[in-house]
Amino acid sequence: MMSNKNQLNVKTSEDMTATELNIEADVVIIGSGAGGGISAYELAKAGKKVIILEAGPYVPSEKFTEMMAVSMATMYEGEGAQSNTDGDITVLQGRCVGGSTVVNAALCFRTPDYYLKKWGKEFGLTNLTPEVMLPYFEKVEKNLGITEVKPHETSSGAETIKKGLKALDIPLGLARRNIRDCAMTGFCFAGCKTDRKQSMMVTYLPWACNHGAEIYADTRVTKISAENGTAKGVNAEVIDPKTGVTKTRLSVKAPIVVLAAGPTGSPLLLQQSGLANSSGQVGKNFACHPSLSVTAIYEKKLNDFHGATHSLFDDRHTLPENGGWIQLNAVQDPVEASFMAEPGTGKPYVRYMQNYPNSTRLITLIHDKNVGEVTMENGYKEIRYQVDDEDFEAMKKGLKENARILFASGAKYLYLPTYDTQRINSVDEIDSVIDALENESARYRYTSFHPQGTCRMGTDKSKTVVNPYGETHDIKNLYVVDASLLPTSIGYNPSETVYALASYIADQINEANPG
Amino acid sequence: MSDINKQRRQFLKLATAISVAVASLSPMQVIAGKITEDNKMDATEHAVFTKMLTTSLPTEGSPLIPPASLPVIPTIEGALLAGMPPHIRQGLNQGIHYFNQGPLKKYGKSFNELPDEQATAFVDEWTSSEKAPHRALAMGLKKLTVLAYWAIPDTWTPLGYVGPVSEKWKLKYRGVTPEPKA
Ligand SMILES: Cc1cc2nc3c(=O)[nH]c(=O)nc-3n(C[C@H](O)[C@H](O)[C@H](O)COP(=O)(O)OP(=O)(O)OC[C@H]3O[C@@H](n4cnc5c(N)ncnc54)[C@H](O)[C@@H]3O)c2cc1C
Repeated sequence: MMSNKNQLNVKTSEDMTATELNIEADVVIIGSGAGGGISAYELAKAGKKVIILEAGPYVPSEKFTEMMAVSMATMYEGEGAQSNTDGDITVLQGRCVGGSTVVNAALCFRTPDYYLKKWGKEFGLTNLTPEVMLPYFEKVEKNLGITEVKPHETSSGAETIKKGLKALDIPLGLARRNIRDCAMTGFCFAGCKTDRKQSMMVTYLPWACNHGAEIYADTRVTKISAENGTAKGVNAEVIDPKTGVTKTRLSVKAPIVVLAAGPTGSPLLLQQSGLANSSGQVGKNFACHPSLSVTAIYEKKLNDFHGATHSLFDDRHTLPENGGWIQLNAVQDPVEASFMAEPGTGKPYVRYMQNYPNSTRLITLIHDKNVGEVTMENGYKEIRYQVDDEDFEAMKKGLKENARILFASGAKYLYLPTYDTQRINSVDEIDSVIDALENESARYRYTSFHPQGTCRMGTDKSKTVVNPYGETHDIKNLYVVDASLLPTSIGYNPSETVYALASYIADQINEANPG
Repeated sequence: MSDINKQRRQFLKLATAISVAVASLSPMQVIAGKITEDNKMDATEHAVFTKMLTTSLPTEGSPLIPPASLPVIPTIEGALLAGMPPHIRQGLNQGIHYFNQGPLKKYGKSFNELPDEQATAFVDEWTSSEKAPHRALAMGLKKLTVLAYWAIPDTWTPLGYVGPVSEKWKLKYRGVTPEPKA
């Protein structure tokens, strides 16, 4: 049962009557996703008056529709329309109270020691050792109920793919997820209607509110201000989502500003504010884990419609030196399936969709180089990013392994997620079909769920934006706590890394600003 | 700049606009936009989408619901096109006109006038074209069309897909998780 305590102290544009509102606080947090939610709680619990400003709407979970089409339009950045400049990679992010944690698939991995060590060596992050980070992983795992999937928490497609992994002697990776008592609806991406997914909206944000934190939804921060190299607060606009009209101009004066607007929002705000960019690196080094999903068709129906969104993976090749890709199963609804493969126009397409109940899919997601850049051009956000040639080769190797697993699981034939028809009819054809793929734009149906890296962390002020403790090199008391911190792409789903880093940085903020 | 270069740049701009418009629609997004004078379909767009609908979803002989019995074109217009940012919507409009003219040289007719078999062949030619803009345009228009069809829940019945389940399964709300004790 819900108690009166432990609820969200949230104001939306509907609650706003004044055209101007000035607030004073100890901390203002921009964005209420993974980084924003965690830091809000840790700072409020330490006695600070915390204000959280969130550009997206507040959608209570009982209003979640379990219709992806509607969820995309209400809870995703750009109504789900965010893409790279070429338009061939969809870059998904949440935009609502709780951010991407409300719409993500809840799969959690600790940051591999490999990256903590690499970041120590290459970026001077020798403070983030596996030993230092361990208690942070343990803490967020406990708080968010991150545990391995139970034997019944799976889907028919995952069970089928499992047979392929077994046949090939591939160790089974069992998903760890921030979910308590999963109801197996398969609607993670549309938001978990009955609150089993432990998103920020049902955990850290209401806990922060227990300690006095206040959330303003529909509130887009437009500028961070600083004086004499120290953060001073922010300006924001409360916008009525129905009309697009600005109802209230809001300013928060606070000696600590925590930027958690995500890897596309945070760099834009710094650029617009003309802050923290002496390195010229703000917005650069964008990575996004491009993923491609291979569709397998089976003799019999699988009805892989509901169940855990992800329940198994194969991560033998995930570190770059082992190849740089990971495989994940996923359930899918017919709307998504309708454009995941290209069987040919007309009759072949109708046959493909008739076979949707006989299909499942395996996603190949790659560790990519940080070659992109986020900027604002003519008032529109631009994500300039193309898959690097070497990364594309990693993708090809991953797709080959993907195809082998699917055939070993009993698939009759496979479709590659290309623009033209690329069907693989047998194991013998895997190499020749995939070897022929070339890295070109508008050829592949890429999705990115994991933007990262635009305000990266490190000791070198000329190459990084944020210092090893989360504070920007240039502006005192301006902290970054979101996925833009990651110095390199990590190849694994990054939410737990963000949870743990935000938790670590909150401790640094509390230590530097006691009382 | 030479005319050819100018045309090429314009062509690339169109293709980028259309592929952005289309990437916008994945996965399975339907934006409830407001139809205005600026974003509503013109006659050519209407004809192209109508032709694309019959070309990409020939459902006779299959258990799928015939698209003509569903409001697919209004869904494309009201739910997909109307929600696009104006600069993308404008690029898309130009892209659709360009696409419609595509078959003139080889088939002597615009796309909306082609018999079904040639329309199918033309879409397949462009989706596997060496030219990125052609791929983007053909794929994009096809995707917009089928997406609007599958976004209508009636189309799921023949597949055995039931859509939302929490209420059907009478799942209990868990509510907010209690704050951890220190
Ligand atoms: C569909 C989907 C599936 C995913 N699945 C997984 C998964 O299974 N496992 C995993 O580990 N990761 C997954 N992720 C990624 C994971 O959720 C993110 O890496 C993580 O949430 C990033 O946290 P963040 O704090 O950087 O940003 P977010 O959680 O995205 O939060 C940023 C918030 O800032 C707000 N904001 C932006 N600009 C402004 C502004 N100017 N003013 C005010 N607010 C602003 C945004 O609206 C947003 O709410 C998935 C993501 C998506 C979108």
